[in-house]
Amino acid sequence: MLDLQNVSKTVDEKPIVNQVSFSVQKGKSIGLIGPNGAGKSTIVKLISGLEKPTNGLIQLMGKDVQQWSVKKLAQHTAVLTQEGLSPYPITVFDAVLMGRYPHLGFFQREGKKDFDLVEHVLETTGLTAFKDQMLDTLSGGERQRVAIAKAMVQQPQMLLLDEPTTFLDIGHQKNILNLVKDWQRRDGLTVLMVLHDLNLAAQFCDELILMNKGKVVDIGSSEQIIAKETLEQVYHANPEIIRHPKSNIPQILL
Amino acid sequence: MKNRQSKLWIWFPIFSLILLMSMSLSVTLGAANISWQLVWQIIFSKIPGLNLFNQASWSASTETIVWDIRLPRVLLGAVVGAALALAGAIYQGVLRNPLADPFILGVSSGASFGAALVFVFGWQVFWLGQFTLPAVAFLFGFLSLLIVYFLSRVNNKVRLETIILAGVVVQSFVGACLSLVLALSNEQLQTIVFWMMGSLALTDWSYNQIIFPIILSISVISTFFIKELNMLGLGEEAAHHSGVSVQRTRFILLILASIITGAAVSVSGAIGFVGLVVPHIIRLMFGADYRVVLPLSIIGGAIFLVGADAFARTILAPREIPLGVVTAFLGAPFFGYLLRRAKRGYF
Repeated sequence: MLDLQNVSKTVDEKPIVNQVSFSVQKGKSIGLIGPNGAGKSTIVKLISGLEKPTNGLIQLMGKDVQQWSVKKLAQHTAVLTQEGLSPYPITVFDAVLMGRYPHLGFFQREGKKDFDLVEHVLETTGLTAFKDQMLDTLSGGERQRVAIAKAMVQQPQMLLLDEPTTFLDIGHQKNILNLVKDWQRRDGLTVLMVLHDLNLAAQFCDELILMNKGKVVDIGSSEQIIAKETLEQVYHANPEIIRHPKSNIPQILL
Repeated sequence: MKNRQSKLWIWFPIFSLILLMSMSLSVTLGAANISWQLVWQIIFSKIPGLNLFNQASWSASTETIVWDIRLPRVLLGAVVGAALALAGAIYQGVLRNPLADPFILGVSSGASFGAALVFVFGWQVFWLGQFTLPAVAFLFGFLSLLIVYFLSRVNNKVRLETIILAGVVVQSFVGACLSLVLALSNEQLQTIVFWMMGSLALTDWSYNQIIFPIILSISVISTFFIKELNMLGLGEEAAHHSGVSVQRTRFILLILASIITGAAVSVSGAIGFVGLVVPHIIRLMFGADYRVVLPLSIIGGAIFLVGADAFARTILAPREIPLGVVTAFLGAPFFGYLLRRAKRGYF
């Protein structure tokens, strides 16, 4: 689905991303973890076309992302960032409807099919009650849910998440990540998410990519990555590792 | 969605009706007392093939006053007001800055400078004739915009903060040039200053014939970008991720807005406040959705300027107050009132 080959990004002669290669299989959910400044967010920006790589090749479904127009790219990938959507005074329905934009021609207007899809997605994300509310009257967590709904309406094959839960309380964190998980299972969505919270990453991702100083340190299951020595090396902290009592997934305690 | 749209279906006809009424009312105002029925009779008598009224029921001088003096002026007021409000709405959306007005990127300073040069040196390009002034003003306004744009272009990208700063830089530089010309000019000083404060006096049909098609076509084109304007409101990155080519869309919209600003300023001078206040008033009344804001700003700007011009030429008649003074006098308090009344942030 997604393939990065020796991707580098240099800003002012300083390498932000250095010779990164990895690939993501269709339907998988991959977590990108690592300390601040590891280059995780830059990877997302490079894939979503916000920035251009200095070197290397990024392929999505076998095609060079650089060759795609912004609109074409948006037909296949949706992005959820930590800022999400600005508190702009339009209704939740209208904001979600904007997700249809890449599928419409320049002169084309949204039709019944688009409205039905929006209604359906609002239902799935539990936003139907908020439909006519203005975006600027919602809380950060609710707005992030609107952003997810907008991404769903976009009907991408790939979802990129850049720390989507940073500003959210634990309830909303879990809610957002569960929505993504259900979506992944339902539609065979491919997910690449940058997460700061290692416990959430271990729980919600099939595989983890650990980055440090612009380079990939290790790729593997949470069993492999969430290990005392690895984390000590990269994070310069020595966390305790325990098992989640229900799922048996490794979790850290500081 | 549906309720937003229906808002437009209700309010667009109402606004249009108000505009039509204020325009015909404005034509009746002035030294010669002419009823609005007579105004419409004269207008209809001008439509070829339509012979509803007995031509002899009014004098030739009345017809001249209505058709050749007042009507072109009122119409130009409507067109200029619509242009400035539309440009303001676009600038505010694209620059994501509530303080943006049509003059923020230096278009009006450039145009004023060009106009001042024409006044001082008495330039007359022979094939342009009386259009030398608007043509030169437009050219200078557009040049200022291009300088702003290329100043703010770094690594093929234009950042919002940079473009606003570049606008301030160019504005002050061109403003200094303008002041220099003013200081060196003698008897033309008053003409230039009055032109800069904005006026619709001395207009005839020819100005309308030039500016009307420009502003009408750009209004229509800009409605194709309503979706993009709304999406930019959710943030530039969010817009990019939903498939909007942010850089290109921004460039096109800024050019469109600057062309209409330049066109408006070149025929009527720099009439302030319309472009800043009208879109805000529309937002405060109807919300920020550009599907409503854009069309209603166009009509609202026209109403506002027709009203302001009627005020300007009647309140101290036979003296005329500069139009820019009236727009600020009327617009600022009303805007302040709405701002105090608004319960929440709306931008």
